[in-house]
Amino acid sequence: MTLVGTNVEMVGGRAKVAGAVTYVADMEFAGQLYAKALRSPYPHAKLLRIDASKAAALPGVRAVVTRDDLAGLNPYFGTGVEDQPVLVIDKARCVGDIIAAVAADSKEIAEEAITLIEADYEELPAATDILEAAKPGAPLVQERHVDKNAGGNIHGVYRAASGDIEQGFKESDEIIENIYHIPPVQHGHIEPHVVTALWEPSGKLVVHTPSQTPSPLQEQIAKVFQMPLNRVRVIVPFIGGGYGGKNHARIEPVVALLARKARRPVQWILTREEVFYTGRRFGAVVKIKTGFKRDGRLWARKVEAWYDMGAYALSGPANTKNAAIIAGGPYNIPHRDYTTYAVYTNLPPAGPYRGVGASHVCWAYESDLDDIARRCKLDPLEVRLKNLIQENDRFITGETMISVGVSECVKQVAQSIGWNGIAEQEKRSDTIVRGKGLAVAIKSTSTPSTSAASVRLNADGSAILLTSTSDMGQGAQTALAQIVADELALPFERITVTFPDSDITPYDKSTSSSRATFHMGKAAQLAVGQIREQLFQAGAKALEARIEDLELRDSRLQVRGVPERSLTYPQLFKAIYGEAAGSLFGSHTLRTEGGIDAQGHGKGSSFWFYSAAGAEVEVDTETGKVRVLQVASAVDVGKAVHPIQCGLQNDGSALAGLGSALVEEMRYDNGQPINSSFLDYLLPSMLDHPGEFNSMLVETPHPDGPCGAKGMGEAALPPMAPAIGNAIANALSGVRVRDLPVKPHKIVAALSNAKERR
Amino acid sequence: MKLAIATTINGQREEIAVHPNQTLLEFLRDELKLKGAVEGCSVGVCGSCTVLIDGKPVSSCLTLASNIEGKSVTTIEGLSQNGELDPVQQAFLKHQAFQCGFCTTGMIMAVKGLLNAHKQPSEEQARDYLSGNLCRCGTYKEVLAAVKELARP
Ligand code: FES
Ligand code: FES
Repeated sequence: MTLVGTNVEMVGGRAKVAGAVTYVADMEFAGQLYAKALRSPYPHAKLLRIDASKAAALPGVRAVVTRDDLAGLNPYFGTGVEDQPVLVIDKARCVGDIIAAVAADSKEIAEEAITLIEADYEELPAATDILEAAKPGAPLVQERHVDKNAGGNIHGVYRAASGDIEQGFKESDEIIENIYHIPPVQHGHIEPHVVTALWEPSGKLVVHTPSQTPSPLQEQIAKVFQMPLNRVRVIVPFIGGGYGGKNHARIEPVVALLARKARRPVQWILTREEVFYTGRRFGAVVKIKTGFKRDGRLWARKVEAWYDMGAYALSGPANTKNAAIIAGGPYNIPHRDYTTYAVYTNLPPAGPYRGVGASHVCWAYESDLDDIARRCKLDPLEVRLKNLIQENDRFITGETMISVGVSECVKQVAQSIGWNGIAEQEKRSDTIVRGKGLAVAIKSTSTPSTSAASVRLNADGSAILLTSTSDMGQGAQTALAQIVADELALPFERITVTFPDSDITPYDKSTSSSRATFHMGKAAQLAVGQIREQLFQAGAKALEARIEDLELRDSRLQVRGVPERSLTYPQLFKAIYGEAAGSLFGSHTLRTEGGIDAQGHGKGSSFWFYSAAGAEVEVDTETGKVRVLQVASAVDVGKAVHPIQCGLQNDGSALAGLGSALVEEMRYDNGQPINSSFLDYLLPSMLDHPGEFNSMLVETPHPDGPCGAKGMGEAALPPMAPAIGNAIANALSGVRVRDLPVKPHKIVAALSNAKERR
Repeated sequence: MKLAIATTINGQREEIAVHPNQTLLEFLRDELKLKGAVEGCSVGVCGSCTVLIDGKPVSSCLTLASNIEGKSVTTIEGLSQNGELDPVQQAFLKHQAFQCGFCTTGMIMAVKGLLNAHKQPSEEQARDYLSGNLCRCGTYKEVLAAVKELARP
């Protein structure tokens, strides 16, 4: 029996229900101090003077750090672009930028000390609107990191194209053109960012942090402090939710700096307000123009999208680049021209959030698709199916697409919500109207990328997978243990998967981009492969059989079909080492091929995500209030390693998608955040959760994934907002709100505009 | 200055000393080292810090520790008996009603409170009662399934 494909009990599940998990904030170290920071009140301001002497003199304060403490360090760090200072050096680039930090005996003392720090600023004009920030002459956020040719705060321009766009528009029967606005949103992990740093007497730094990217984080910290990697130990326990929000080094370097100065362990738990300063999803503006034939064939599409990275790039350039190739969706369109811009603004830095750059363009191209179907008087499902890419089609990158389950996904959601074709568009009553909507999405995973895995087999027939994959609730440890157990024909309980610990576990790019199962799962399989080779060789000799005739089954190596001729694990160790002791090792570094060039050509993704969503809503045309009656989502997972966990991730993504469709939005007034708490920023609660909530898994196996599995964790998010938007537009006879979130007042305004035009 | 008070925590009578401005959450986590209740928002919105006082769920981040004088507090650590999980914990495990687990202890305590208030809650009652416990992992459907099973006569 194989474990892959079954619903074993989640690793750590018992500890989670017992309240026995140790998250980073639960750890305590002897002599531990507590940190607080002084943060910039301005979106853009020169730091003229800083004097922390009074704070340093306060009893109980053990260390204060400011820009004066950066001597001897590499003060700037970052994932790709090194544009982030450990703390503000010359100017603050957003509200919440860290000006100074304190470590004290208690949180109260640290808080008091912060009030004693004197800082003088000279306010600078700020670039807070994304399109304004992209214009030449805008105040510059990062003078050294902008693309001089593009102008303004544009860091990078990314393109993908095929065919002849002008010719394509000429050949089209009709053309539509629209602009969509997508606001920044919060990741909303209930566990705030938290870091504990301590320096061992030998001068080695140990950092405990709920990071989705332990290896790159380790590299960045090592670079800041100019130390080799073995002197920086990064340890990641269970994470209390990540969703992309814990992808980047942000506060780790400054906590390490405090701990070094205080010579004591320092813990910093961010307040919820500070979490809002630490990460968010990009805001974006998407311009889209589509030419089509009257029979519903998409013929030419031009997309321009501006992504607001905020003050620091993080992975913004890579995410924006990936967005360019998927800007027009998973469709075959003869003539395409897509451009995306990564733009700095004086807002807190943005990063990936479930769906990364895919959600923004998906909101645009899927809203447009329904408008196109309406113009053609065709069923939006049919129009999608007519244009969707199929197995072995060529994508805009020039690559041949395989394992393409997107049509199946949309068919399944359509069936699940009881889609009735064009008839849906006629259902009306007086002020309460109902509608249904569909949407599909495509997304890439970070490519090329590297994941290494090591497996250690014990003589008793148990094994440990050493991996830097983080478990943030998605159940990575469970899925990886299933994969390893099957490869060794061992029971699930005989496999341990480590937490990331850079002293022990090998390099991994990240637990993000929904890449862990595919990449780490494959690396683990190949690592076990090395152990299997050793076992089979020893077994062949001892059993006097040919290697080809052997199989691992039920914790034994046996001659195929002849269980009497078999060896247990201890016996195999005895055959190898002369005694039932020792360790067998296997390891593999998986490096995926690919990447795209400046023209958008190449291999865009080591596997592609395909998903679809459907929704039914009820809209009150007087108040604009929307009630979601049902939603469905379908994701092509390749192979569901743990179907329940896959379903849970779909649910989470879909619910977050519902939140960003209807309520979620981080709001700013000239760069000042105005809803940085859960009182003002609403996350979907159980009351927002639709009674009918169906998530489906489509399995189109991928040849490169472990057991055919692909990544899936975030795929359900991007299509959910447009599915809901389409359901609303459907209910309103095509009247559409193009700016997220679709709030009641926008619906009322759109309806009255439509009436005036009539 | 600390206040000396008598209270019951997880079934044990205790004489404790609390700061007048200390929250119950701080007291539980920092003094008693009971780390099961966690802090997500500190403004009473997320529910991750939920504990029971006399059987009713409260946000311990908004409750002063001094308020537990003469009362009985139950935290997640007080649910399992002799290593046996409580039925609510078992139902959560069976229905996999969690992902990252950060909201889970609060959610379980809120479900305890729900079942104290209504022996057989309807789905609507459950949604309403639990709406102050946020799960960003989105595991609401499974929590409701666990409640449904627990609500069976
Ligand atoms: S931490 Fe108490 S309700 Fe959120
Ligand atoms: S399980 Fe992660 S927030 Fe609820």
